[in-house]
Amino acid sequence: MSKENKAFLSIKNLTIEYTSDGDVIHAVNDVSLELEKGKTLGLVGETGAGKTTIAKSILKILPEPPARITSGEIWFDGKELLNAHHDEMRHIRGKRIAMIFQDPMTALNPIMRVGKQIAEVIELHENVSRAKAEENAKKMLEMVGIPAARYREYPHQFSGGMKQRVVIAIALACSPDLLLADEPTTALDVTIQAQVLDMINDLKAKYNTSMIMITHDLGVVAEVCDNVAVVYAGEIVEYGTREQIFHSPSFPYTKGLFGSLPGLKSDVKRLSPIEGLPPDPSNLPKGCAFNPRCPHATDACRQGRIGLIDIGAGHLCRCCQIDSTQKEG
Amino acid sequence: MSRFIIKRLLWTIPVMLGIAILIFSIMYVCPGDPAASLLGNGATQVELQAKREEMGLNDPYLIRLGRYLKQVFIDFDLGDSYMYGTPVIDGLLARMKYTLIIAFTCMGLQILVGTPLGIIAATHRNGLADRFCMFIALLGVSIPAFWLALMMVVAFAVNLNWLPAYGVGGIEFYIMPCLANCFAGIATQARQTRSSMLEVIRSDYVVTAQAKGLSKNEVLLKHALPNALIPIITIVGNGMGMMLGGTVVIENVFSIPGVGNYMMSAIGSRDYPIVMGGVLILGLLFSLIMLLVDIVYAFIDPRIKAQYEGQQRRKKHAA
Amino acid sequence: MQRNGQAVNERLRKESQLSQIMARLKKNKAALFGLCLIVALLLVAVLSPWISPYDYTKMDIQNMYAKPSAEHIFGCDELGRDIFSRILYGSRASLSLGMIASVAGTLVGIVIGSIVGYYGGWVETLVMRLLDIIQAIPGMLLAIAISAALGPGFTNTILALSIGGIPMTVRLLRGSILSIRKQEYIEAAEKINCSKFRIITTHILPNSIAPLIVSVTMGIGNTILSAAALSYIGLGVQPPTPEWGAMLSAGKSVITKYPHLCIFPGLAIMVVVLSFNMLGDGLRDAMDPKLKN
Repeated sequence: MSKENKAFLSIKNLTIEYTSDGDVIHAVNDVSLELEKGKTLGLVGETGAGKTTIAKSILKILPEPPARITSGEIWFDGKELLNAHHDEMRHIRGKRIAMIFQDPMTALNPIMRVGKQIAEVIELHENVSRAKAEENAKKMLEMVGIPAARYREYPHQFSGGMKQRVVIAIALACSPDLLLADEPTTALDVTIQAQVLDMINDLKAKYNTSMIMITHDLGVVAEVCDNVAVVYAGEIVEYGTREQIFHSPSFPYTKGLFGSLPGLKSDVKRLSPIEGLPPDPSNLPKGCAFNPRCPHATDACRQGRIGLIDIGAGHLCRCCQIDSTQKEG
Repeated sequence: MSRFIIKRLLWTIPVMLGIAILIFSIMYVCPGDPAASLLGNGATQVELQAKREEMGLNDPYLIRLGRYLKQVFIDFDLGDSYMYGTPVIDGLLARMKYTLIIAFTCMGLQILVGTPLGIIAATHRNGLADRFCMFIALLGVSIPAFWLALMMVVAFAVNLNWLPAYGVGGIEFYIMPCLANCFAGIATQARQTRSSMLEVIRSDYVVTAQAKGLSKNEVLLKHALPNALIPIITIVGNGMGMMLGGTVVIENVFSIPGVGNYMMSAIGSRDYPIVMGGVLILGLLFSLIMLLVDIVYAFIDPRIKAQYEGQQRRKKHAA
Repeated sequence: MQRNGQAVNERLRKESQLSQIMARLKKNKAALFGLCLIVALLLVAVLSPWISPYDYTKMDIQNMYAKPSAEHIFGCDELGRDIFSRILYGSRASLSLGMIASVAGTLVGIVIGSIVGYYGGWVETLVMRLLDIIQAIPGMLLAIAISAALGPGFTNTILALSIGGIPMTVRLLRGSILSIRKQEYIEAAEKINCSKFRIITTHILPNSIAPLIVSVTMGIGNTILSAAALSYIGLGVQPPTPEWGAMLSAGKSVITKYPHLCIFPGLAIMVVVLSFNMLGDGLRDAMDPKLKN
């Protein structure tokens, strides 16, 4: 950690808990991440592994309570965010860091005109007149492929894909420095997915935006990410460049993810799914969180916390059986 | 939109017809003889019989119903009071003023006091303000309004001598009736506002608004509240029904010569035209308010407006 | 957030829905307090002949309008009867009126609602329009008119009060039928030739039971309030049956001199209604956990 604040965004030892009916749910456990300007980091993992919680904590829009950030630091462009003042955060949200939300069906205000929802964020951060904001919002609509004539319509008149484009337009309206994309394509048809990804890639290149792409779709990762962090039960279990992760997945869970994908070229009769279910986050297993499902688990995996090990050129892996699993892989 | 309003206005006609049939039938089965209560104890059987014949009380149910409906919906006449012989509509209109003052003041208080209380409770969830507001609201929906009225009389009229105990006159005569009658409405409004605000606050679009960088108050007022208003408006409409029904009892407590007292004494003296006329007028008023509620819906929620307009479009296609 | 939902569901799926609700209810102190009060009040109602210090009919000219004292803790009324004893006895009328009328209205509403859901089409249109008409008359006004027509008395008051509760139940049930009808598992049930009756009884009613229970509980409180108001204005349950509303009505004329005749019956009404509302609130929160926290 000697590069300190050089990284554009760096998350250090972030731990987040939820309290529900007296149970403490460990949603994010000691996560550290770094992201450089203009690069894209993929957060990969199952639904509910804590990816969205990480993204929301960067914007400080977690519902507190029940959520509680128990420890950690988030440095963004030389500024620590977790201790930043409300007003400061308000100027960062939407302007410097923007988020694309997962579910386009519910992310838009149903009783506000679509165009107004885009213009709102422009009016808020750019020092422009109402008319100018409307004009810019129309431009944003055109940019995401929606005719500006539909500015005055309401969300219920839009299809799911179009709503997602509006959500993206809102996020990009003030050309943010950091974009948090939370499964921006999951709710969409495959054909629309590709369009939306292309669009995000183009816009990112245009504004040199950094991005955190949250997804459980390895195809999306391959298309847009420079680096990948695999998240399991609120922990980063593997981190590396896209090539490192795709060519030599090391953590058993990551391998499992690739094993459960149908390949076009390889002609396997059966896919090999990962056995078992994700652990109960209010009662995480001792030791490695993956040990109950891991084919290589030994007694060593069931004791104590396991650290991230550099297995070559910044490729990190949280596995104490790395030698034995490597051989097999 | 205007076609929807016209359609809804036209729909009030069958509703009023239904109310008229319903209330006529209820009054038809009422025990007691209007002729007897009109003539008093000294009347002979022959006199009673003649009076009944004269009032048309001896005719069969359907003929009497038909006569009443024709009178109300074709001649626009609510009939004459048995007791006073004067037109019912005059009697009702003369007393309507007091009932409306109380009902509309209560409705205003319900909206203006109940809504902010609910918002405060929702935004301070589980905090001291929330607990306090919700405790008061719980009391409000649990206290009998007429008992609250009696207790206020004891406190403010008898002991402190601040306010008149009964009757009508200046503003001071309306303070206690309105407060006693609107407490439940304010409480219901606060409770509903709180729960629909809480439901809206956790929705995704409120998070979106937060992520845009809006301040907490802007998020609440521009995004959460307008959405939360949709179920709240229903409560306002229903609350008006509650207030109109409640005034009947409250007028009794404070001896206010409103429609409610007029109807109650008419029930006692079997003066059915007054009872039926009163129910019809209050029913019409309530129906119009519910129509207003439906229109306000359409202004707040474009989805409902689209639905209304969709109905028309489908109609056009069919035509 | 999602992760919690899923994982917690996973864990709780083993437990039945009911036991979950009970577990949540147990954590709600106000609801438990309300429940305890209701149980205590029911006991009082059942045991009133044995626990009242005086016969509720016993008149005592010496003690007319007696102020609360050690002997008569709530004082005596205009006939010198012990108010405390009359309030204990009065709980019978209020509780049974409230509970019977509310449950009866809901049951009739369930039957009508199911018929509406079963037949749909013109039956549905007709019934809903009829309910529109009933609901266009303010509830209290309708109750007054009906109880005037039927005459005073216990059964008639129940009738007058339960009719007002029917439209709400039908609407509630129809609402859930409409929303459930579109769900795929209903379509699946239809595809395997499940009869409509079976679909309503096995799929739709169980899914609507939670809101119905909440509405009955809240309804009891409201019904008790209306019943008291009816007897206060001289309809409903009549003297000499001890009923809180009627006691208030009797005490009204002397309220300036002897307010204790009115204070205690009103407090009794408030406590009963409050406890049903607290339980109702708790049930609603327990059945809709997403509203909590």
